[in-house]
Amino acid sequence: MTEFAGHLPGLAADAVEWRTLTFRRANEALDVAVPVLSDAQMTAMVERVRQARRRYLQSLTVSQIAAIIDRAIARLLDRADPWRRKAEALLPLVTGYDAEMVRLGLTGYLKTFRQKELQKFLAEDFANPQILDDFQPTPKGGFARAFGPDVLVHIWAGNVPGLPLWSLISGLLVKAGNIGKVSSAEPLFAGWFARLLAEIDPGLADCLAIVWWKGGDEARERAVLKQADVVVAYGGNDSLDQIRGRVPLTTRYLPFGHKIGFGMIARAALDARKAMSVAHQAAYDVVRYDQQGCYSPQMFFVERGGKVSPREFTKYVASELACFEQKYPRRPLSIEEAGGVAAWRHAEELKAASQPDREVIGDTAGAWSVVHTEDAEGLVPSGLNRTIKIVAVDRLEDAVALIAPVKAFLQTAGIAAPPEELYRLAAMLGEAGVTRICALGQMTAPEAGWHHDGRFNLLDLVTMVEIDRSAETAADAFAAYVD
Amino acid sequence: MTEAQIIERLLGFIAADDATEAAFDRLALELFSYQFERNQPYRRFATQRAKTIRTVRTWRDIPPVPIDAFKDLTLSCRTPDDSFRVFMTSGTTKGGLRGKSYHPTLAVYDASMTTNFRRRFMPDRDRIRMGILFPDEQAMPNSSLAHYLALALREFGSEGSHYLIGESGLDSTRVLAELARAEKTGEPYALLGASYSFVHLMDDMRRLGRTAALPDGSRILDTGGFKGQSREIAADDFYDQLSSTFGVPRARCINMYGMTELSTQFYDRGNETCPSVKSGPPWIRSRVINPLTGADVPRGTVGVLVHCDLAHFNVVSTILTEDAGIEVEGGFLLLGRADGAEAKGCSMAVEEFLRAAQG
Repeated sequence: MTEFAGHLPGLAADAVEWRTLTFRRANEALDVAVPVLSDAQMTAMVERVRQARRRYLQSLTVSQIAAIIDRAIARLLDRADPWRRKAEALLPLVTGYDAEMVRLGLTGYLKTFRQKELQKFLAEDFANPQILDDFQPTPKGGFARAFGPDVLVHIWAGNVPGLPLWSLISGLLVKAGNIGKVSSAEPLFAGWFARLLAEIDPGLADCLAIVWWKGGDEARERAVLKQADVVVAYGGNDSLDQIRGRVPLTTRYLPFGHKIGFGMIARAALDARKAMSVAHQAAYDVVRYDQQGCYSPQMFFVERGGKVSPREFTKYVASELACFEQKYPRRPLSIEEAGGVAAWRHAEELKAASQPDREVIGDTAGAWSVVHTEDAEGLVPSGLNRTIKIVAVDRLEDAVALIAPVKAFLQTAGIAAPPEELYRLAAMLGEAGVTRICALGQMTAPEAGWHHDGRFNLLDLVTMVEIDRSAETAADAFAAYVD
Repeated sequence: MTEAQIIERLLGFIAADDATEAAFDRLALELFSYQFERNQPYRRFATQRAKTIRTVRTWRDIPPVPIDAFKDLTLSCRTPDDSFRVFMTSGTTKGGLRGKSYHPTLAVYDASMTTNFRRRFMPDRDRIRMGILFPDEQAMPNSSLAHYLALALREFGSEGSHYLIGESGLDSTRVLAELARAEKTGEPYALLGASYSFVHLMDDMRRLGRTAALPDGSRILDTGGFKGQSREIAADDFYDQLSSTFGVPRARCINMYGMTELSTQFYDRGNETCPSVKSGPPWIRSRVINPLTGADVPRGTVGVLVHCDLAHFNVVSTILTEDAGIEVEGGFLLLGRADGAEAKGCSMAVEEFLRAAQG
């Protein structure tokens, strides 16, 4: 079976060269054909998108666009819809994640793009979202309007299903022409979404293109990025740095680098009744997408002095991970990934052998591992793929110093603490570089309209065009009605 | 057993050339109990895995130490003192920490190296004129490769053998002179060194528009691959280029696979096709395992290599590498590194984090 990736307005399938990426899982294999465009095809397509955006997308109001997106999302939420069925069938094959986890993840994620949620998106960034449609009066006097870029290029990375939707929908809401480059690890979802939009509103078909090229292809990247007005890129620091060198100086570049998350559990959450469910939530955050997300936890800091000790809490988390392994088994690992997990675990075991305050708990097949330590340890990534370290601290405030040195890589903190403490910690964490604080169990499910890495999803994409009050006043002098 | 007795047993074993598994097993178990008793960190490591003298029945049961542990633990059966030779890894990964191997004597290392080298690289002659593409032992006293190559030169190099890398780097002029000399005299010539040095040399020669046609019997030995180097090239291209630059057929281009954490090396039988089959002498045996469970993977599937090297007697004999491989008839295929992939999503892998955090 071959599934075709991408969405190529103006190009017939047989006019394009295709390359096959094969995804193998246990007994199944899926061939995904990704388009390899010629330079001329790529240039022409970007131009086509630019024109269509001016001609059609600009003519829609932002609420009309939100309504169209809402219809597409409704289709993807409908388990009987052919697109949804395709996603449920193929994404587990492509990404390796457990099918049930993908299904639940998709629903939870797609819900955040319903019309009401999109309004939140807009309201987060614009006091008056109609500023995207027409000039609106501003508090300082005069008028302003927000223009989206003619061409917004997205370079996506990674295999977390559906991730491209964030920036793609943001691009559509600000009426940008979108060129999205899918990652080889999950090349399908963005193209499906584009085709579904085109099905719902054929006028949109030419306003976005979903393409592929081999990541790092310098000539291709330079050529495409030269045509862009704004570039959004995801990936590791090395590849982001490479892309930065290829973006013209006058083009806005918005890089989203890899991040690490962590959790904090206050002693108030550690009584016999609550600790169990907190451990369940904590383990859930570890299990979801096997810690591959920037919002996934790599460490938990647990406060001493509760009825349940940090060491006991570690045991709870271990037993929850064991349960989840039955329900949502970890995806099969490549030998490199297995090597990474093994190296992490071995290193921890070696330390544990000489340090009585340290313990490694894990199943014999290596499907999950928990390390407990009583020593204050700075935040570093775990071995990923369900490996987590739990660090005991006297007070959660002490953990702030343990995360602060890696400010540039911080993003999400999952917190279980009473209200007063939550706010007190939040101030300290914000100072330290954390940009999102959420409940445990919700780390991998950001709210609609969240500010990814503390930035503005929509505002960062637009250019404000202002009409000074002086222009207004001066114009009056030339009016027919002037006395 | 005392250290002296162990050394004697090993020298005897290397000389005897007994390739049976039973003979290997016997010595491997003796060595395990020697190391278990004298090497405290290893004893703790093994005990933690419920592997003791009682439970280990064959060499396959011996718990392999991950090579990362060589960075944190002092693995030695005797407290190292000034008389020891210490080989260290380059420290290009994992935050610059270097793994150490402590050798109270190099007698076993040298016997292992020379016996095996003779068989695998010099089966047809006693000596050959050699050019070494690597710094000498004075420049790199803690490099096992520098020692290996010095030994090759001393034991197998004919008069006039020489180093081609000095204080000021690669001496391309000397290389070109040596190549011309060999072409003129018809005397076979051997180039030995790090894989990336060959890449730099070939770059230089391409810039100068030079190639050579070395006489029959000439040969090349490269080792180390390209990890952490400025430029990586595919093995097939590498051997094509070696062959066309020096006029040495790919079958005479031997790749040596060795590690600081071992005292014995593996070789292939030339690189007409890649990846080539690697194999070692009777005193080293390898397994291919799933690194998470420690169990052997089914034959023919990819896993991580474990080596049990009897010659590495003072440290630990059995190590878990970070190299991926497949067991095949007559040896194994070496497939590259298995030391942790980048995260598939937008999280960070440890290695990437360390690199980024170091700026």
